[in-house]
Amino acid sequence: MQIYLPIAELSVNAFVILGMGGAVGFLSGMFGVGGGFLMTPLLIFSGIPSSVAVATEANQIVASSVSGAVAQWQRNNVDIKLGTVLLIGGIAGAILGVQIVKVLRELGQVDLIIALSYVTFLGTIGTLMLIESLNAIRKSRAGEPVAARKSGQHNWIHGLPFKMRFKRSKLYISAIPPLLLGAFVGLLAAIMGVGGGFVMVPAMIYLLRVPTNVVVGTSLFQIVFVTAVTTILHATQNQTVDAVLAMMLMVGGVIGAQFGVRVGQRLRGEQLRALLAILVLGVCARLAYNLVAMPGELYSIGPAFGGH
Amino acid sequence: MRGGVCGATVLIAALSFALSSLALAQDSRESVEADVSTRRIAIESDFSGVRILLFGAVENSTQTAPEDGLYDLAIVIEGPREELIVRRKSKVAGIWVNTEANPYKAVPSYYAIISTRPVDEIARPQLLKWLGIGFDQIKLLAVGKFEEGEEKNFRESIIRIKETQGLYRKAEHGVAFIGSSLFRATIDLPANVSVGEFSARVHLFRNGAYLNSYNTQLNLQREGFERLVYTFAFEYPFFYGVAAVILAVLAGLAATAIFKRD
Repeated sequence: MQIYLPIAELSVNAFVILGMGGAVGFLSGMFGVGGGFLMTPLLIFSGIPSSVAVATEANQIVASSVSGAVAQWQRNNVDIKLGTVLLIGGIAGAILGVQIVKVLRELGQVDLIIALSYVTFLGTIGTLMLIESLNAIRKSRAGEPVAARKSGQHNWIHGLPFKMRFKRSKLYISAIPPLLLGAFVGLLAAIMGVGGGFVMVPAMIYLLRVPTNVVVGTSLFQIVFVTAVTTILHATQNQTVDAVLAMMLMVGGVIGAQFGVRVGQRLRGEQLRALLAILVLGVCARLAYNLVAMPGELYSIGPAFGGH
Repeated sequence: MRGGVCGATVLIAALSFALSSLALAQDSRESVEADVSTRRIAIESDFSGVRILLFGAVENSTQTAPEDGLYDLAIVIEGPREELIVRRKSKVAGIWVNTEANPYKAVPSYYAIISTRPVDEIARPQLLKWLGIGFDQIKLLAVGKFEEGEEKNFRESIIRIKETQGLYRKAEHGVAFIGSSLFRATIDLPANVSVGEFSARVHLFRNGAYLNSYNTQLNLQREGFERLVYTFAFEYPFFYGVAAVILAVLAGLAATAIFKRD
């Protein structure tokens, strides 16, 4: 069944889009990740303009993370104060990111920058994850205990000014690191169409030393609001949010995630992470190939800006 | 009416007998009239392109059967004009980057030539040029300056890309005579077509000579849900964004509610 996407301005097969949403939803349910970093490249591979893919994916992440955020909220796993500080940074980052996308679109470089951002991020994170999970697998095979990270240590972050008390997280730290972290994740949301959990969660654990029980809830809280703001900003600044495409991805995504969670519970953590790392590196390689390989058509035509 | 037309024809025929052959060609010559099956076409959410029928008749046709092939028709359909930017990639530090950009004004968003046979068989190049028939005749107005020899490459790229998008097309046997004077043609508009006014110019030829033209219009509009989404997104972008977020939140919460019951 063909469906015309009003903003992307092309006709797509509804079942293909639902299937893509379902497949990425399945993987994100299985691995416990947002899935934006898989969905956006997939949309780009299937011919959706990069800027539409990014903005629409931000919209979809609102749907895929809201239920998790509500569940965490009900279990009192959200540090609202820390979440708000992260969110203030996040909104600033999103405003900047959407403006960057707008300028890049006018310059005709938006596809390139989005692809380069993905190659950089997926390459780095995929490699780190692969090394970490392979080490973990090796250690568990050798019978060694997996070393837990030392906590409670003070690091450079404790020397910064503007200290705030975050009761729920039992932290007394400067507001600058969470603001900057929030801003960085907001920037990623706007430029790459990702929730940014893959940066937010490790940074909260290792950098801010937030207790693990509030990390996921607080990060989801921040993601819901930042992707919501990003969606509205992209809609007003770039008119690139395709609601029809987003709805199809949402439907496919939530169904896929339900099955993914069940499969994920049967697999072991480090094997799961190794699998995810390979997947991430695969997407990265595909994007990198597109940048390096001689394109079939050197010329491209696009709408003129400034007219409306 | 019919008698009047017949009478006039007889009178003209009698007169032209006495006059020169030039006068004969001018006075009793055939003319063409045409119309489209739908003047207003709606793009809806299941839009995957549309086929429109163009039909018409050659008046004063001296053809006795469609097989005679006495007349040739070349129909040029042009879509609304739009501004474009054409970009060209080149390799910078190992990756392909858009390095050159040239804006174009008033590029036809759609251009189709539908004819009884290949247009270069119908008439001489000068005549086709004069009538503006053919991809080479599409007016593409570049705004900026080009490096030497680049203008041709850019121009050709627009036509090539539009052709692969199905927006510039040729149907070399797309017009068929049904009777001695009646003809029909189909116009294919793909899903990615721009909305607005389309013009259809119908040109009539006989033995390589141009006889007459007829112009008609059709209007392509967005309708239904598709139109709603599009208008909403561009006219009230802020509220559109807010609505998209509310929909996403509701979808997310609904999904949780549904799957919790299992």
